[in-house]
Amino acid sequence: MRYRLVVLALAAVAAWVLPYGLSLYAIHVVDVAIVFAILAIGMGLVMGIAGQINLAQVAFFGVGAYMTAVLTTHVGMGFWTAAVLSVIGTAVVGLLVGTPALRMQSHYLGIVTLGLAVAFVSWATNSPLAGGASGISGIPAPTLFGLDLSSEYLFYYFELIVFACALAFGMFIVRMPLGRRMRAMRDDALAAGAVGAEVRSLRMAAFALASVYGGLAGVLYAGLIRYVAPETFSIANMFLLLAMVIIGGRHSLVGCVVGALGLSLLREALVDVSTYAQLAYGAVVALTVVFAPNGLAGLPGRVRSAWGRRRPDKAAVLGDFQPYEPASPDVVGGPDRDDWILDVRGVGKRFRGLIALQDVSFQVRAGEIRGIVGPNGSGKTTLFNVISGLYKPSSGQVIFAGKPATGRPPHQLAHAGMARTFQNLRLFHLMSVRENVLVGLDRSRIRSIWRYLLWPIGVFRDDREMHRAGDELLARFGLVDFAPAAPRSLPYGTQRRVEIARAMAGRPRLLLLDEPAAGLNGEEVRQLGEIVRSIRASGVTVIIIEHNMGLVMSMCERITVLASGSVIAEGTPAEVSRTPEVIEAYLGDAEVNDNFSAEDELPPATVLDATP
Amino acid sequence: MQVFFQTIVGGLSIGAIYALVAMGFSLVYRTMGLVNFAHGNVVMIGAYVASTFYMTTQLPFAVSMVIAIVVTGLIGVVIEWVLRPLENRDFDLMLIGTIGFGIVLEALATIIWGATGRAVPSPVPAEPLNLLGIRVRTYNLVVLGIAAVAMILLMLFLQRTKRGSAMQAVAMDYEAATAVGIHVGRSNAIAFAIGAGLAALAGGLVGPLLYVSPAMGGTLGIKGFAAAILGGFGSIPGAIVGGLAIGLLDGFAAGQFQGYSEVVVFLVFTALIMIRPTGIFGERTVNRA
Amino acid sequence: MSERANEPSTLSERANQPSNVSGELIIEGLSVHYGGVTAVRSVSLRVAAGQSVGLIGANGAGKSSTLRALMALVPRAATAVRFGDVDLMRVRANDMVRHGIGYVPEGRHVFPGLPVEKNLMLGAYAQRWNEQVRDTLAEVYEIFPVLAEMRRRLAGALSGGQQQMLAIGRALMARPRLLLLDEPSMGLSPKLIEDILAVLQRLSREGMSILLVEQNAKLTFEATTECLVMENGEVAMQGASQELRRDPRVRKVYLGL
Repeated sequence: MRYRLVVLALAAVAAWVLPYGLSLYAIHVVDVAIVFAILAIGMGLVMGIAGQINLAQVAFFGVGAYMTAVLTTHVGMGFWTAAVLSVIGTAVVGLLVGTPALRMQSHYLGIVTLGLAVAFVSWATNSPLAGGASGISGIPAPTLFGLDLSSEYLFYYFELIVFACALAFGMFIVRMPLGRRMRAMRDDALAAGAVGAEVRSLRMAAFALASVYGGLAGVLYAGLIRYVAPETFSIANMFLLLAMVIIGGRHSLVGCVVGALGLSLLREALVDVSTYAQLAYGAVVALTVVFAPNGLAGLPGRVRSAWGRRRPDKAAVLGDFQPYEPASPDVVGGPDRDDWILDVRGVGKRFRGLIALQDVSFQVRAGEIRGIVGPNGSGKTTLFNVISGLYKPSSGQVIFAGKPATGRPPHQLAHAGMARTFQNLRLFHLMSVRENVLVGLDRSRIRSIWRYLLWPIGVFRDDREMHRAGDELLARFGLVDFAPAAPRSLPYGTQRRVEIARAMAGRPRLLLLDEPAAGLNGEEVRQLGEIVRSIRASGVTVIIIEHNMGLVMSMCERITVLASGSVIAEGTPAEVSRTPEVIEAYLGDAEVNDNFSAEDELPPATVLDATP
Repeated sequence: MQVFFQTIVGGLSIGAIYALVAMGFSLVYRTMGLVNFAHGNVVMIGAYVASTFYMTTQLPFAVSMVIAIVVTGLIGVVIEWVLRPLENRDFDLMLIGTIGFGIVLEALATIIWGATGRAVPSPVPAEPLNLLGIRVRTYNLVVLGIAAVAMILLMLFLQRTKRGSAMQAVAMDYEAATAVGIHVGRSNAIAFAIGAGLAALAGGLVGPLLYVSPAMGGTLGIKGFAAAILGGFGSIPGAIVGGLAIGLLDGFAAGQFQGYSEVVVFLVFTALIMIRPTGIFGERTVNRA
Repeated sequence: MSERANEPSTLSERANQPSNVSGELIIEGLSVHYGGVTAVRSVSLRVAAGQSVGLIGANGAGKSSTLRALMALVPRAATAVRFGDVDLMRVRANDMVRHGIGYVPEGRHVFPGLPVEKNLMLGAYAQRWNEQVRDTLAEVYEIFPVLAEMRRRLAGALSGGQQQMLAIGRALMARPRLLLLDEPSMGLSPKLIEDILAVLQRLSREGMSILLVEQNAKLTFEATTECLVMENGEVAMQGASQELRRDPRVRKVYLGL
């Protein structure tokens, strides 16, 4: 921490004295580089943090610059009024450009945003309002508190302050709950929704942020150059910006800034051989994505891990699970004994003619552990996806805690008290174990986003509170030693436990576990049983899909059996295991080894005993 | 009426070019899951190579085309080889990597052929042809004809030959294709070569139609990609329909809105793709969330 | 289809492989690891020429992984994997079919966008598409008449049962000496499972070696002479199918009681 403060102070001093050693031309180059750095922060936020492929960032830049130019020259506004309006206007454009992200992702989003960027350049080149190919000149020089900012030296200081604020605000967002939810969405949008992140709103927020940075950069550019022309906002410059962010490291805002400053200055130094420079940075981009996907910002981590491998690491230990406080009996059962927390009514689901679920009905009592079993392909996970809001059922209804759940998006159900895990582990793999749990804890909504701008202290306090609760949770699940680790570096069984911890972080009333024992060894299965029982004892209803019949039979009060998309049996473990339909579904025939009943003596020390 | 039909023919012929580009995109995507944003720049290189040999060495147009196809094929192989570690792993990074290659190709073209660009003379007489009282540019018809033949040949290859069926099989189910004995890597390499060949063909044909310059790859690639997505990404018939649609849209927008045609084309494209993200023939779900 | 079963010309007799090599499959000490998880731990089994062997167990027991490892579709480690005198550890997945091994993947991996007949013809990809392949096609159609009716339909438009038949038929097109099947009964109705059983029994009578991976124990006991029961990646029991059929421990593996 102190080390960082020193670095920061040194950087500030260096930035402050820098102009004293620079010629007028050099300070101009630096001024332009800073504009690109602000632009790159926006790009890093939307692409590196929120995972949205946005190839229209340069168009946001253009909208900001052109709006400032038009408002000052054509409308005759003062520079600062125009600047404020331009940033707001760019944000509106950003939201519009971002709307396709609600429907599509990845390369689809890339081509749409790129197309819109081309459209913008085309508009600017042709519109009389924008001055056509020759652009708009004569933008008045801004003055601030009587200082004439037409001096590039003075403008530098002004820019420096704006830049510092912009970077600080960006980093603040990244580290606070909002940025964490965005990063979670980037790593796994599905899981992020399931833990309560409003994925669609977050995508829009990311575009809004990127466009505000773009607009800010545009305003600064207009004030600095006092002339705008279409070629500044060309696709070639879009790709240059992309190269800055990729080479610098898209997951790190500081990396983006380093990339932007570095490439801007390099481009200036190599201006005589600009085509070769272009060749070089294109090649570096192609090689970076393959060999150093995290860019320059990823290098220190690599060095550190290479260094760390040489030293024997203090072995991290998976701690014991600390049981939850059992809830008082009036929460578990008690007078509400007949309360259904989940009521699935005649749910059907088809995928293009294929029937995955057919008229599935069952109810789960509050405080119960319910097992859902059935052969492969019987529709168990589809059922979970319907219950948790990932799929809309083709027919039927799901009632959760007395309210219809059908048609509500996953994040709403999560906020209403439903949590789930996934069959194939969906942890946020670029985030630490602690952050994974923190995302699960995070109940803040996008509508309180204004606090980031107007009441950052409140955000900061909330975050500290979350960290405290997160540490408690990590301790409870015995994960303290793994808190800073990347999920993928952990043993499989530990990852499973992290996922359960993340699901429990939201203090759910209903927990859906999808094959939590898959891939676990005997001891881990035993611990899992202990964890699930304790979770239930704390008042949480648990529904568990599992193939480990020993675990299911020993733990669940009731079991629902699915086969070919329909419920074929329901009852206590003993009842279910005697139902001919169940035996038929599993063994193919009720008569297979029916000559013996289950109570028959078994050979001692059977290798088959999987019952924990 | 006259103008209307001229616009249609013009739109269709540029649309046929977009269709060829889109087919290349789709073929490469179908077989190896590589979204090649540099494809437009490969087309541009194809245009340069074809026109260079055609104009300077006086080789017949057809021979220049063959050379162009070989060159683009090699470029394609290099791109695939470098980005192979990312295939099926990180889609977004791979896409950015291909953008990097696009930048490289554009710079290379500038270094080799200069930044100014060139006009390529039409290999057929310039005077317009009179068709039932409607005058159309002869070269437009040539483009339409060659593109149609190429598309028919490709469809025949995919549907009638064992190798073509195998290539589709690999795209549909990698593992089952392996089980029946198909060498997936080899099959993909051929698909890639065909994709590059289509790029060269598009580049060679577009030369006399547009001005050939290092920057042409950008627009051509974006519109070709848009065509592929509009038709349904990965679908060959979709690429053809999408390409012709974008071409017609282009032609009419240019007539109606002049300078703003690009704006109109991309706004319409965005609206269409918002309404139907899977495109006309699309079968995959797009939004992975 | 039963009246055809006794005729002399059969798929496996006319297998396109040199028939002098003995066709015994030997697996010794086969293990599969995914990331940190051991899916299969030192599994050994044999399938003698013409024999039918079953591999049963609950979901996640490692049955499919065993088969996929045998096919070289996943990284594996083993003391020995041989088929006849061929060392399968040195054979790539796409060459298995050339050594007489047919594979029917789990979950009906047909080529959905291609017509049924093209799917079948691709089964004979490793051969020249000549008269002999046409004959095989006719035989496959005779075994699965429903596929003949649907020959021009896209495979993706078939029902689940038809797709399963197509996947088996496609594997038969290569005239394998050993057929590997991964859960052919998955998601099928009892009637369709009966049909699949009849086909497997017929192929077995005709001398084809079969290794059947199944969750459905009844189907497996009836289709095979010998069975292995897998649990947690290991072979937990093995014996004659008729004896295992009466062993209550099997039920315990499945139902946990």
